[in-house]
Amino acid sequence: MRKVAIYGKGGIGKSTTTQNTVAGLVEMGKKVMVVGCDPKADSTRLLLGGLAQKSVLDTLREEGEDVELEDVAKTGYGDSVCVESGGPEPGVGCAGRGIITSINLLEALGAYEEDKGLDYVFYDVLGDVVCGGFAMPIREGKAQEIYIVVSGEMMAMYAANNICKGIQKYAEGGGVRLGGLICNSRMVDNEAEMIKALADKLGTQMIHFVPRDNQVQRAEINRKTVIDFSPEHAQADEYRALAKAIDENQMFVIPKPLEIAELEQLLMDYGLFG
Amino acid sequence: MMGEPAKYVSSTNACRQCTPLGACLAFKGVRGAVPYLHGSQGCATYMRRYIISHFREPIDIASSALGEKQAVFGGGPNLKEGLVNVIGKYSPEVIGIATTCLTETIGDDVASILIEFDREWGAAKKGEHPQLVRVSTPSYQGSHVEGFHATVRALADQLALSSEGVNEKSVNLFPGIVSTADLRALREIVEGFGLTATILPDYSDTLDGPALDRYMPISPGGTGIEEIKLMGGAVASVEFASLLPRKLSAGELLKERFWQRLDTLGLPLGLRATDAFFSALSSISGESIPERYKSQRGRLLDAFVDGHKYLSGKRAVIYGDEELALGLTSFIAEVGIQPVVVATGSSNSDFEDAVKGVTEGLVLEEVKVVDGVDFSEIEALAAEAKPDLLIGNSKGYRISRELGVPLIRVGFPIHDRFGGQRTLHLGYEGALSLFDNLVNAVITKKQEDSPIGYAYI
Repeated sequence: MRKVAIYGKGGIGKSTTTQNTVAGLVEMGKKVMVVGCDPKADSTRLLLGGLAQKSVLDTLREEGEDVELEDVAKTGYGDSVCVESGGPEPGVGCAGRGIITSINLLEALGAYEEDKGLDYVFYDVLGDVVCGGFAMPIREGKAQEIYIVVSGEMMAMYAANNICKGIQKYAEGGGVRLGGLICNSRMVDNEAEMIKALADKLGTQMIHFVPRDNQVQRAEINRKTVIDFSPEHAQADEYRALAKAIDENQMFVIPKPLEIAELEQLLMDYGLFG
Repeated sequence: MMGEPAKYVSSTNACRQCTPLGACLAFKGVRGAVPYLHGSQGCATYMRRYIISHFREPIDIASSALGEKQAVFGGGPNLKEGLVNVIGKYSPEVIGIATTCLTETIGDDVASILIEFDREWGAAKKGEHPQLVRVSTPSYQGSHVEGFHATVRALADQLALSSEGVNEKSVNLFPGIVSTADLRALREIVEGFGLTATILPDYSDTLDGPALDRYMPISPGGTGIEEIKLMGGAVASVEFASLLPRKLSAGELLKERFWQRLDTLGLPLGLRATDAFFSALSSISGESIPERYKSQRGRLLDAFVDGHKYLSGKRAVIYGDEELALGLTSFIAEVGIQPVVVATGSSNSDFEDAVKGVTEGLVLEEVKVVDGVDFSEIEALAAEAKPDLLIGNSKGYRISRELGVPLIRVGFPIHDRFGGQRTLHLGYEGALSLFDNLVNAVITKKQEDSPIGYAYI
C-alpha cells in the first residue's frame, strides 16, 4: 500500500486535485482510501457526490468511544473509501490534536489492515504544516510520499518551500520523502517553467502541470470529479495523466528548501522578466 | 431557544491515576533506569510524591521542564538538553521517556527528536549514550494501568528485537501492577518449576530494597536490558492481563514477533486463578506442581473451611485497577462473600462481562459492575448496597469512614498504612493472608459493635 499525503497553501486546490487524481486512480482499478485531515471536512465531497459525511471527531463527540469503522468510512466514486477527520468548532480546542486522535482511531479500527486490500491511502491535509498535529500524517511512517500542490503565485511557492522544511525535518526521523510538485495553474506568466525551476532547486520534479479549466468548477458544482462528470473532457485526461504519473513515480527525495532570497530571485527571474 | 444543557459533573476524587505515572512505575522496574517525563515540571513532582508515599523509597523522575515558550515552539530542544543533564548526573543504563498531556497535545514527535539526539550525540564523540526507550502516555487517554502496560510493551518492542534460539527453561512474566512481595513470590513460584523468570518490570528491589550505607542515585535491582533483549528467546510468556486491549500487550507483541507461546491469565488471586497459573507453569515446564505449593493450597482450603462461618453471606464492595478488582472479586466470590459493587476507574468495556464470568454460579444476588467511575459514584453505589466490607486502595478510606464499614487495603496506592507496598496478594499464600485479613476485619467489627467485650469470638 502506498501512503500519500497532499500538502499546499490554503485555497490552492488540494482537495479538488486530490479527489480528481483519486478518480483517475480508481479508474485504473486501484483501491484508494482518502482521509481528509482538515477540520472543514470538505476533502471527500466530490467522491461522495456531495453526501455530507459525518467526521470521525463528530462521531466520537456524539456517539462516544464505541465507534465502528462503518460509522466513519463511506464508500464513494469507484469504490473509494472516504474518511473525514473533522475537528473542533473554529476557534476552539486543538484541531492538530484532533487529527492525531482520528488517525489513531482509524488504525485501531483496522482501516489500514491488509484485508481492506488498499493500494493507496491519500491524506488531504489542511494548509501548511502549522503544528505537530497537522504534521501527523508524515510522522511515524503514516505517509511515505508527499506531493505539494502549488501554483506560480508567490505565496503558494513560499508555502511549498515552507512545507519542504517540514518534510526535511521529518525525513530525518522517519522515511517520508517528497514525490514532487503538482502545479495547479493560476495562469501566471511562465508558470510551468517557474515551477519546474523551483522543483529543480528543491531537488524534486514537477510531476504534472494541471491547466486551469472551468470544467473543474462545473464538475464541482455538480458535486463530482471531472472524470465522473465529463469523462470525455480534455481536463479529465489531465487528471488521468497526473494519476498515471503518481502511479509510476520513482523519484522520492528529501527536499532542499530554499533561502528566502533564493526564492525571491526565482520569482524575479521567471515572474517579472520571463 | 436552547434546551436545558445536559448535566455534567466533573470527576470527584478519581479512582485512577495519571497515565505517565504508570509509565514511571514500569520504568522503575528496569535496571539502571531513570524515568523521564517529557512535559512540564509539575507532572514529575506530583508523580514522585505519589509513588514515594506508597513505597517509602526515594524516587527520582526527570523532567524536560517545558514552559509556555516550549509549548508554543515545540519541546525538542528541552528534551535533548534534559537527556544530557540526566546522563551527566546519573550515568543511567536506560532513560525511559514518557510523554505527558502537554507534549501529546502539541504533537511533539519524540521518536524523531530521539533520532536527532542520537546523531548529535554521535557527532560530539562522547561514546555510547544510554539506551533510550520512549512511550506515548497522554493522560487524557487511559489510566496509570494503560500507561504501565504501554511502557512494558514499549520496552519489549524497542529492545527485544531478535532471538538467538529458544531457551526451553526461560519464561517471560508480565505481572502488571502488583506489590513488591508479589513480585518476589512470583519469581519463587516460577523457579519452583525449574524455570527462570524474566519479570518485566521487576521493581521488587528498586522500590523495596534494603537500607544502604550510602545514597545511590539509582537504586539497585530491576530487569536488565540484556535480559529484556533476550525475551524473544523465552519458551513462553505469561501475562496477567485478561482485560488488557491486545494492542497494549507485550506478550502479544512477542507472540507475533517470535511465534512465542503466550498464556494470558487473570492475576493469580484466590484459589481458581492461582490454580490456573500453576497449571500454565506445569504445562510450560512439563513439571508437576511442587509439593510445597500443594501444601500451601491445602492450608488455604483448610482456612476457607475454618473461616466460612465468619465470612459466609457477607457483602463486599470492591474497587481499583481493573485486573486487581476482577481478581479480588473472583477470590471473595469463591470464599462465600457476596460482591455487591465491583468498580474500576478505568474505562473498559470487557470489565462487566469478565466480572459476571468469575462470579457465575457463586453469587446469590446480581453484582453491580461499573467501569470509568470516580469515588463519589462508588460511594453512592456503596451506600445503597449496604456492604460489610470494602476492599481496595487507601483512596477509598473516606467511604469507609462515612459508611462505618471496614476497609481491607490492597493494591496501589496505600498511603495510610505501613507496609502497603509489600502486601502479598498473589499465589496460595497471598490468598491466605488476604483471607486472614478479611476474617479479622469481620471479627474486629463485630467486637467493636458489641456492647459486651467478647475476647472469645
